Amino acid sequence: MQSPCSTRLTVTLARCCAIAAMAGFALGAQAQPAGIAPEAQRLLKASTDFLAKQQQFSADTRITLEVVLKSGQKIEFNHTARQSVQRPNKLRAERTGDLVSQVFYYDGKSLTLFNPQDKVYARLAAPDTLEAMFEFARTKLDIVAPASDLIYKNAYEILMDGVTDGFVVGKAVIEGVRCDHLAFRAPHVDLQIWVQEGAQPLPRRFVITTRDLDNAPQFAVTVTKWNLKPTFGAQTFSFTPPAGAKKVDFLPR
Amino acid sequence: MTGTRTLKAFVAAAALSLLHLADVATDAPLGLKLIREAHAIVGAPATPVSVAGVARRTTVRAAAATSATAQQQAATAQQQAATAQQQAATAQQQAATAQQQAAAARPAGAPPVGTVVNALPSGCRPEIKGGVELQNCGGVYYRPAFQGNNLVYVVQ
Repeated sequence: MQSPCSTRLTVTLARCCAIAAMAGFALGAQAQPAGIAPEAQRLLKASTDFLAKQQQFSADTRITLEVVLKSGQKIEFNHTARQSVQRPNKLRAERTGDLVSQVFYYDGKSLTLFNPQDKVYARLAAPDTLEAMFEFARTKLDIVAPASDLIYKNAYEILMDGVTDGFVVGKAVIEGVRCDHLAFRAPHVDLQIWVQEGAQPLPRRFVITTRDLDNAPQFAVTVTKWNLKPTFGAQTFSFTPPAGAKKVDFLPR
Repeated sequence: MTGTRTLKAFVAAAALSLLHLADVATDAPLGLKLIREAHAIVGAPATPVSVAGVARRTTVRAAAATSATAQQQAATAQQQAATAQQQAATAQQQAATAQQQAAAARPAGAPPVGTVVNALPSGCRPEIKGGVELQNCGGVYYRPAFQGNNLVYVVQ
């Protein structure tokens, strides 16, 4: 004998499923446009170009990572990050969330990784532009700065590399902001990106679906706040070790 | 090579979060242990990266460090052998003595030097050795270091 409450829940769930199924059916039934729609391309390029032109900005992001267990069960991890960027060569990225508490500093000369909870940091000389530094950090140190894909000046080329299909899904609202919803398809991955309408075509959200893994897990980033006129201080990009902090090495890759 | 860069960028973004999954302390909540023990597949973009994969990489690295040491020892032994048989014999003897001494200094069952672990065993205390602060865990010394975004400990 089910309680009325759980019955109601079941009915609600059933309704949701039905609606989802209908939506899914509707999308599935539509012939997906082949190739890349010029309008989708144009909207994405407008967004990446706009961001590349911003000499300094900060973005608060919410990042969700799905993990699929061997049983097929999906587990989700969340963290938030704030990226502060000053082109051509300054970055600070702070992350907090499940398992994460770390600050990444780049002042144009060196990069520093600091774990405030462990009071441990490592520092290394780095190339003198953001793009070169990202490459160095990723290939030599296995270090990644969050959402760096969007900070690259040639983000459009990076995002579109290998893309075979793309179209404009329609209008959407992300964090209360009206956006154009774009969908792209590349080998192994699907990419969706939501671009703010109007004079400031900022990326508001992107989702990457790994479709050749069981249960197609997703990685999603939502920008909860863009600030195109941030105030950066002397300590924003350069790290001064707090009392008791210990310097350690980066292990060579 | 189209698509490779895109994938790399995405994998990179994902790996960032992934590496922290490997950074789970042994007394972590159940959910995190679950992830660690399960051969979880990280849903981040593009490549089936797994927590198990991170562990394997660590193992490979430790193994590589060990074999490098072995090669070095072999090279040294060959050089010595080339110099003179007697000297080589002496060197071998010395090496054997050194190994014995080293073995005596390290507790039985200690992980091989160069092993990288994500969390310290229990009962460690900081100790300065050669001007560096290490963690002394029952006679086995660990040095903290960053491996990617991940804080790890290297067996000394």
